[in-house]
Amino acid sequence: MPSIKRIARRVVSAVLAAAVLCTSAVAFADEPYMGYNYDWWGDPVPSQNGYVVDKVVSGQDIGCGSLTTPADLFFDDEEQLYIADSAYVGNFDSKAQKGRIVVTDKDFNLINTIEYLDFSGKQEWLDEKKAALDSGSMDEERYQKETNIYFNTPTGVFVDEGNIYVADSENNRVVQFKPDKDANGIGYGKVDEVYTRPEGIYYDANTTFKPEKVLVDAAKNVYVCITTITRGAVVFSREGEFNGYYGANRVEKTGEVILNAFWKLIMTTEQIKRMKRSVPVEITNFDIDSDNFVYTVTKSKNSDTDILKKMNSAGTNIFINLGYNEYTFGDALVKYYRGTTYSSQICDVDVGPHGEINLLDLTTGRVFQYDDECTLLFVFGGNSDQKGTFTNVNAVESLGTNVYVLDSRKSSITVFKRTEFGSIVQEAMSLFNAGKYEESIEPWNEVLRRDSNYWMAYIGLGNAYLNAKDYENAMDYFYMQSRSGYSDAFKSWRMNFIRDNFTIFAVVIILIFVAIYVISSIRGKKRAKKRAAADKILREQQKKEEG
Amino acid sequence: MRFDLDLPAWQWPFYVMRHPFEGYEDLRWKKAYNMKVAMVIVVLFFLVTIADQVLTGFLHNYTMVKVFNIVPIIINSIVLFFTWVIGNWALCTLFNGEGTMRNICVNTAYALVPYIIGKVVNIILSNCLTRDEYMFLNFVTYITVGYSILLLFSGMKTVHQYNFWQTILSMLFTIVAMVIIIILTVLLVSLFQQVYLFVYAIYTELLYRNPSMSSVALIAIMVGVIAAVVAIICVAYTAFEKAQIRKEQKKLH
Repeated sequence: MPSIKRIARRVVSAVLAAAVLCTSAVAFADEPYMGYNYDWWGDPVPSQNGYVVDKVVSGQDIGCGSLTTPADLFFDDEEQLYIADSAYVGNFDSKAQKGRIVVTDKDFNLINTIEYLDFSGKQEWLDEKKAALDSGSMDEERYQKETNIYFNTPTGVFVDEGNIYVADSENNRVVQFKPDKDANGIGYGKVDEVYTRPEGIYYDANTTFKPEKVLVDAAKNVYVCITTITRGAVVFSREGEFNGYYGANRVEKTGEVILNAFWKLIMTTEQIKRMKRSVPVEITNFDIDSDNFVYTVTKSKNSDTDILKKMNSAGTNIFINLGYNEYTFGDALVKYYRGTTYSSQICDVDVGPHGEINLLDLTTGRVFQYDDECTLLFVFGGNSDQKGTFTNVNAVESLGTNVYVLDSRKSSITVFKRTEFGSIVQEAMSLFNAGKYEESIEPWNEVLRRDSNYWMAYIGLGNAYLNAKDYENAMDYFYMQSRSGYSDAFKSWRMNFIRDNFTIFAVVIILIFVAIYVISSIRGKKRAKKRAAADKILREQQKKEEG
Repeated sequence: MRFDLDLPAWQWPFYVMRHPFEGYEDLRWKKAYNMKVAMVIVVLFFLVTIADQVLTGFLHNYTMVKVFNIVPIIINSIVLFFTWVIGNWALCTLFNGEGTMRNICVNTAYALVPYIIGKVVNIILSNCLTRDEYMFLNFVTYITVGYSILLLFSGMKTVHQYNFWQTILSMLFTIVAMVIIIILTVLLVSLFQQVYLFVYAIYTELLYRNPSMSSVALIAIMVGVIAAVVAIICVAYTAFEKAQIRKEQKKLH
């Protein structure tokens, strides 16, 4: 007969066990993806999640009707969100209108939807176009497209000081306008400038002009990203004049390209002309940061060259790992599954307020967040049908500590918020990048306490101890994590070691020299004796022969 | 020729190392080839190859130390050595080489001494040098490897009594022979694997059909079946032979 005490103990333990089981089940069920990071060897290791899903917002939640194939997101300086809703069919003229711009505030309250354009401020430009049409220098179709009062598949949106720039791809133009509302409460845009296909001899006559993305720098130059042009982004001045190309990628150094370079050395010009030209992969998307650096990404399955570039105004890439291997972005591992190769295709880039770079991978639906020195901080998101995962990602934006990802097939915006772990890493990273190594010790230790696989924490702590001249600790942290850091720490440690033990070293070296001298002299004497003995025997033999 | 060459066996490799051309001639003249010393050197070669992966300092160690696998090391040292010896012997006996397998083995092993010493020096140095000072390691590597190749050349030249160009050619073709040996070995291994898989498939098939049977009994049955098949083949073959012989005898009569 079990005592009451024992029964009570059993009940309590059962309840506790159930509670533990339930809470653990809840704890594991919250994110549909697992955070990971790469260690020094380039192997993926599990990591804490830096970002978790906050909410998923659809067009109905915003109150503007459902979004249809939304293509781009943009946050302006006043924290207003602009969505390029690229396949939206309008209410007035269902054939002509395809697409609109939805404007909300950061909490997704609808501010305006821009449905059509008003060219009344550009009467002169319209007349010019009309004249060109009448004189026959412009065909009817092009005239219709460029002066269309509706959008046709707007795939890119950018806002600069209240001016909205829209890459209106099927209309072959980029329009700049100010938003407004008409008497019926329907939003429209008052057009200030239209950027169309350049006429100059520098723009290849066979190339189409289909703007995909657009951005504007501090000097109000307009950069247009066109995926059929491999020479970089098309740059217009503020007045709409074609200024040239900007930021072309390099040609990937494949075996074929190197071989062709060799053939070109020995072939004639005629033969070279007939050869297949090697062209770089075109840039796919770009972003600009507050210091006017342009970041471009390249969506390519096969190429590893210039996946992400950070360029100054001269178009020079400053993300070049001098003297070492080039930086890699996205998933390091290429996956083969049922005859198909899956490798990262970075389709959008966004630069956050502290210089953190969010790269969006189309293949895996993941966001890769890097710091401004190209160190991978977090990976989040994925491909599936759950909250926080995607089917066809299109654009990424960030505001404060949130990251917004646009999925064109799900027609929704997913908001990720930074976790506590993410905040600690961010704090440590910003202290580290500012050179405040001592202050970063505490957050780095906290990072290691939460995730001992976090590679960057070892580097941070190693640098902190190296800066504090605690070389042994620095070597401990750098060991198996950073060769260059370990080398620096080891150099100073070795110097100190030799300085502290100089007498021992000196004595040992002198002893070695003495030992060598003594041994060689002894051996020399032995050898002389042997030789003398051999000579003696020879002489005796000779004597015998003579005798 | 020197008169004081009554060296103990373990001193010969060092003597050869100090006299790269004369040393091997003396070795041959004195018939001082010692297999035990050669085997010790091969074992040291193997140990040094392991140490190169495990003990080289972090700054200069570019091998994947996360996983340690001894099989490639064995292939890189011991198998490589014996493939060279076998390849060289197989080639040079066909082309008037005078070396026996034992002599080739000893000469090759003695030629490895500078390489082993260089590796030991490198392993010690790599723990004392920073990353920027790697050229000292390279210096040691080039010198010792070059010296080993020189010794190997000299050893092969002496052991087969070749002239300069014959030696060079024989060494180059030995490498080709090594490749062929390795390819054939891989082929053989994969073939035996197929046989093993076939037998194993039959075993599992039997096991599925007779789940109550113990595995020992199954193996016994299989061995019996295989023996029976082999016996039948043998009997059939002998019968065939006999029939052939009888036919020919009839023809003769």
